[in-house]
This record gives sequence, C-alpha cells and structure tokens, in this order.
Amino acid sequence: MKKRLLIIILSLLALSGCGSGTLPQAREMGDMALLRTMGVDAGEDGFLTVTVSAGGEEGLVLSAQQPSLSAACLAMQGQSDRYVFYGYVDQLLVGESLAKLGIDGVLRYFAQDVELGLNTRLWMVQNAGAGAALEGGQEADSRLETLRADSLMGVALTTRTAGEVLSDLLEEGSAYVPALDGDLRETGYAVFKGDRLAGCLDRELSRGLELLAGAATADVLQFDLNGGKVVVRMSGAKSGFTLVDHTIHISCEVEAKIAESDRELSREELEELRRQLEQREEARILDALEQLQEWNADCVGICRRTGMKRPRGWAEQRENWETVFPLLTAEAQVQAKLEGGVL
Amino acid sequence: MDSVPHPRKEPRFPGPLTAENIETIFRDCADFSTRSIILHGDLDRSVQLCWIEGMVRGERMNDYVLRPLAQDPMLASLPLHEAYKIMAQGALYTGGVRLCTSLDEGAKSMVEGSCLVFFPGQERALSISVATEEKRSVGEPENEPALKGARDSFVESLRTNTSLVRRRLRAPELRVKEHIVGRQSLTPVDVVYLDGIADGHTVELIEARLDEMDIDGIEATGNLEEYLVDRLNTPFPLLPFTQRPDRFCAGLLEGRVGILADGLPLGYLAPGTLDQFFKTGQDRAFHWMVATALNLIRYFCALVTLLLPGLYIAMVTFHPEAIPPKLALSIVAAKQQVPFSTIFEVLIMLLSFEVLQEAGLRLPGPIGSTVSILGGLVVGSAAVEAHIVSPAVLIAVAIAGVAGYTQPSQDFAGALRLWRFLLAILASLGGLFGLTAGCVGLLWHLSGLESFEVPYLSFHNLIRPPLPDMKLRDGAVNSRNRRNQK
Repeated sequence: MKKRLLIIILSLLALSGCGSGTLPQAREMGDMALLRTMGVDAGEDGFLTVTVSAGGEEGLVLSAQQPSLSAACLAMQGQSDRYVFYGYVDQLLVGESLAKLGIDGVLRYFAQDVELGLNTRLWMVQNAGAGAALEGGQEADSRLETLRADSLMGVALTTRTAGEVLSDLLEEGSAYVPALDGDLRETGYAVFKGDRLAGCLDRELSRGLELLAGAATADVLQFDLNGGKVVVRMSGAKSGFTLVDHTIHISCEVEAKIAESDRELSREELEELRRQLEQREEARILDALEQLQEWNADCVGICRRTGMKRPRGWAEQRENWETVFPLLTAEAQVQAKLEGGVL
Repeated sequence: MDSVPHPRKEPRFPGPLTAENIETIFRDCADFSTRSIILHGDLDRSVQLCWIEGMVRGERMNDYVLRPLAQDPMLASLPLHEAYKIMAQGALYTGGVRLCTSLDEGAKSMVEGSCLVFFPGQERALSISVATEEKRSVGEPENEPALKGARDSFVESLRTNTSLVRRRLRAPELRVKEHIVGRQSLTPVDVVYLDGIADGHTVELIEARLDEMDIDGIEATGNLEEYLVDRLNTPFPLLPFTQRPDRFCAGLLEGRVGILADGLPLGYLAPGTLDQFFKTGQDRAFHWMVATALNLIRYFCALVTLLLPGLYIAMVTFHPEAIPPKLALSIVAAKQQVPFSTIFEVLIMLLSFEVLQEAGLRLPGPIGSTVSILGGLVVGSAAVEAHIVSPAVLIAVAIAGVAGYTQPSQDFAGALRLWRFLLAILASLGGLFGLTAGCVGLLWHLSGLESFEVPYLSFHNLIRPPLPDMKLRDGAVNSRNRRNQK
C-alpha cells in the first residue's frame, strides 16, 4: 500500500512540473514594492513608455521607455531600491496613442507574464497619456479603485478586464473598453476594431452601447411631462437580437424607477412617460448601433448572439459578417418597466 | 518475540512459607512487624503474626485479629488444625481471609495490607485482610471540568475507581480483569469492559500486552501507554484517557475497553481513534446542534493550529500574489523595518511560544500566570514596537497557539504542535508546495497508524447527531453488538 502511495505521489510530483532547483523562490515582502497600476503609452521610434504606480502611502511612481514591455519592466527593477513586484497590478491604463497603434501586444504580455494576469481592469485614456494620468501616484490608484467599486455597484461605466477584451478581440474582432480623460474621469467607451482604436463613444452613445450589451449602468433621464419635470433612474436592461432578412431586430427590456416628480402622476401620465422613455432608449440604441456599423465594429457580439439562434447558418454568417454588418438595417423595440410614481 | 519466556523470576522467593522465611524476606525493613500471640492464655498454644506497619489499619488488627485470638476460648480448646480451620471460616472477624501456601503469596498479601497468621510447624499461613484505606477523596476532574454533568473524578486507588465505574454501569456483564504489572511495583492493572459489547479481540490484545510488559514499575502514565500502543514512532496519542468516570463509562458503552491502573487517577479507553481526541465529556450534555458546531470548530482549530504558521510563511515569502492587496500592503508596511526574515521570525516566535508555555507550566500558579503576562503581553508588544517582529507574525503565531488550546486532548495538541514546526520548516523550504507535501506526509502517517489493530482514521461521526438517531455504538468498529437502541 505504501509503495503504491509513494508511486502516486512521485507521479504527482512529476506532473507538477517542479524539479530540483525549480521550487518557488523566496522573497521578503518587506523588500518589495507592490505595484498596483500600470500605464502604457506609445513612445517615439516604436518604443513603449511604461509607467507604474505603487499603492499605499508612499505613492511610488516609476517610468521607463524601452522597445518592449518586458524590457521596460526590467528597466524599472533597477530604478527602485526594492524588488518591484508586478503581481498586484490590477489596473491597466492604455494611452490613446498606443490604442491607435494596437493593444494586442500589451494584452498578450499580460496573458503570458508570470506575475501579471488577465484579470487586470483595462482602461483607455482619451486625449492624454496613461503615464501622465498616473503621475498622481496614490490618488490615481484610489481613483481607479473607486471607479471599479462604483462599476460593481452599477453607478459607473462597465469595467472590462484585459482577459475579456482579449477574448472579444479574438472572437468578435472588436471590443469596447471604458475610456477616461487625463484626470481619470469617465468619458464613455473606446471601441477597438482588430486591436486598434476605431473611435470613442460619447456619454449618450455609451448608454446606447450598454443597452445593446445588456449591461446598463445607472443613468438618470429627465422628461418634461405636461409642463412638469419627472426624473427617471434606470436600474437594469436586457437585450436580445434577431436577424431576419438583413434586418436586426433588437428587443430590449429596461427597468426604471421614478426618482423625482413634482406631483403625483396619473395613469395616463405614467403611460406617456413610459412611451417617452421607450422612444429615448430606442433612439440611443439605434444611434449607438449606427456608429458601430460605421466603424464595422460588432463589439457587443450581435453576430454571435444572432448566430446562436440559427446554428445552421452561423458559420456562413460569421464568414460574411465583416461585409454584411455595416449594411444591415436595424429596428429596436424597447419595453420599459416603471416603478413608483403613484402615491 | 512471543516465543521468548517472560523474564520475571518464578517463584520470586523459593522455599516453604514460614514465619522465619518471611522475616528473612523482609529483613532490614523498619516497617516489618511480627508478634507471637498466646491463644486464650494457653502458654502451650501460640500463633505468629506478621504484618507491615502503615499498610494495615491498627484498629482492624486489634479488633478483628488480636482480640479473637487472645480471648476466644474455642480457639484454645480445639486441636490446632481444627482451630486453623474455624479461623479461616469466620472465627476472625474479617471478610478477607485467604490461605497462602507459598512465600510469594504470603509476601504479596502482606504488601497489599494483610496480616499473616502462622501456626507452629505448618508451612502455610492465613492471610487476613486488614488493609488501611487511606487515600485521596474523590474530587473534581481538574483537566476536564464539567459545566453540565457529574463532577467526580478518578483517584489513585484502583478499587475506588472500579467502584466509581460499577456505580454507573450496574450491569453484571461488566468485567474487571486484573493483571499485575511491574517487577518491583507489582501494580494491579484492571482491564474493564462490558462483556457482549466490547470486541473480544481487543480485550485479548490488551491482556496479552499487559502480560508481556516487563518493567520495574508504573510510576508514570508513559510506563503503561508506551508498552500498550501499537507504535512509538508517532507523536500522536493512540490511547485516549480521561479523568472522568462518566466519560470512561460512555466509552465502555460505546464498545471500547477500559484500562485502570493503581496509582493513576485516570482511565484509558482502547482502541483510540482520531475522532476520540476531538470529543469532550460535554458533547452529550449540550444540545446536538451546539455540540456539533463546537466539534466542527475543534476540527477547524486543529487545522488552524497546524497550518497557519506554515501558510503564513508560504504566502508571505513565496506566493505574495495570493494575499489580498490591502492585506499585502499592510504586511509590507509592517515588515519594512523588521530586520529578520519572515521564516526566522515565525520559527523564533513559535519557539518563544513553546518556551513561554513551558515556563508557565513549570512554575507555581501565580508565578506562572505572571510569566505568561510578562512574556506574552509585555515582551510581545515591546518586540512589535521595537520592530523586532512584525505584528502580523505575532498575530498568526498567537492565533495558531490559541487554536491549539481548543483541543480536548493535550497529548493530541502536543502532536499537532510538533507537526506545526515541521510544516513551517517545509513551507520555508518550498512554499505551498512544501506545505502540501508536508500535509500529504501527515495524511500518510496518520493513515498508517493503528490502535489495537483498528485504523486510527476510522471515523464514525464527524458531527454529533441527536441521540435518538444514534442507533449504533459510536465506538469500536469491531463491536459484537453495535446497536444500542431500538
């Protein structure tokens, strides 16, 4: 019995990939600089400018310009008096300059590196450099942490991980990433076609994109109703696609709650409010889709989602999608579910 | 091994049983006493009495032996051999009269508190039990306090202990088999079990091992434990013990076999399986949900005390990415000014913990608690403030130490402490890989252990179900009668 156990354990040891001299390396945490955020910009002559920021009170910021990401990371090891540890990097900022050139290399590096991982949140810095946005050190880190926490609660833009974006780029050929300005304030979504930036959606179009993706975040809409003001807070959305004869039928169910009203609404007024809300959301959806068609970037996976409903023609549809998608007409039907309003 | 004869000398004292030979055996013994008594004033008829002072009770000697011998006219009128016979049949007022025919028997009964009566010219003697009963009274079990339940505890007297058991288990099937162990101590050791419930093979094994024991005396518990268990190359206890008669009886009802030794205020229960060391005497006193929760907490604490120091070393030194970021940042901040490596810190703190515990145990109560306060609180907090150790290490080691105290068996907790060191060292060599290898080794070790041919890991119940649902005895796996209720 013991011999059998010994054989099993030795086999497991062999399967573990660990041999002599390949046991994990001991490092003292006290001698480490734990980096939390990385910013990557395109530099001159094909170089990359990599900026990293450590969390905590020290607000350590390191930066290096090298031909490759790994060279820049190695160069930054020499800039600190402690071991620079990338295992805690969970925010990645990509500058617009690099986004226009392509982010595939950065994402692949995150996929392959031992310390970095694909669960890192990815952001694009619009009209500014990622390094410049990180100069604030601790403030930048805490700002990004807040954005992530807000997103989990549905009160900020939907965050995307590097893994999700890489997977979308590989499967759909396009992806969307939340975009920030130089002060790390939300501006909308950046849409990538291939691995390059196709364009950025403003706040209104971004809401349309969220409705298409079925990942609506909290939004507040104001309506004029019979001379009065009514404020509606969006709380959820669910969308579906059907492709029939070169027309995309988009059905969307939105949930909303009346947040402010200067008077009690009658049933007729509620119906009118629902109608206006549905019209507004339909317009948002169609505008966003039109923009995506213009960029030929199906970043919400319409091809996949419609193809799953018609498995027989899915392969053919995917093959022709690049040429078909910009030419499709779209129809949107929104059903709003309103809560509140009647006292 | 079985074919080798027992080295005990038989007979111990050769020769006929006479008063002169008994005097020779007990020569140079200040407590040996002998006296010649004339039967009812007849100068031609006398008997010789031998006893050991301190082992007999003076009043009983006088009233039950000396008075009838000196005053009973019948003893003087009958022929000697007739007088001898009626003494054995009741002329002497004691329940324990035995005829001894060998020197060994005579010497042994004297040591046990009997008085030997020799008739002239006869190579035999009457052993009359007049033993003193001075002993510690039955008190509360200090190591196993009862919140809800009986408060008596075993004492050093074997007969008192067997009576405590028999008062709880009045079944005539309760068997108490006695074996004498120890060349010099001649300690009676009783094997106690319920006939028809306990596994007969376990009884045979225990009796055989007791008979095989060849030691000078049982002056410590180890003298019994280390000769009875199956293996000695393990720190894990294989023979659970209890101070509480109620728990001992519960063990017998479960089908286990009890061992009681004279001079030891505790009872052993065999076979010892791992789950026994997580149970307390109070498990059946509390509500089953509470008892189950506490039982599970004890298992959890065993894992904490075993793994936490090693896990801390592995995480902080080898796999920092597995620590949540905020915790990692606070560990880094606390660790920056500490001059020692994490491995050294943890091992030194574990060692300090053991030193403090040992110091507290070896000193009298009030001084011991002072040492604990000085060592644990003052030195600990001073070391943290002086950045000699990091607070996280102190917390990890303290949690591991306190978790160890939840174990009902200190023997088992001691084994966990030893393995804790080993796992911490393995973790410092190979991180989680080393720790996992150590855990596999521990599991392997445990799975190879047996107690009286019963696997150590033969769990019966991890939880304590409601008692009406416990239809089967929770004890020996080989019990002949496993069902305990309809």
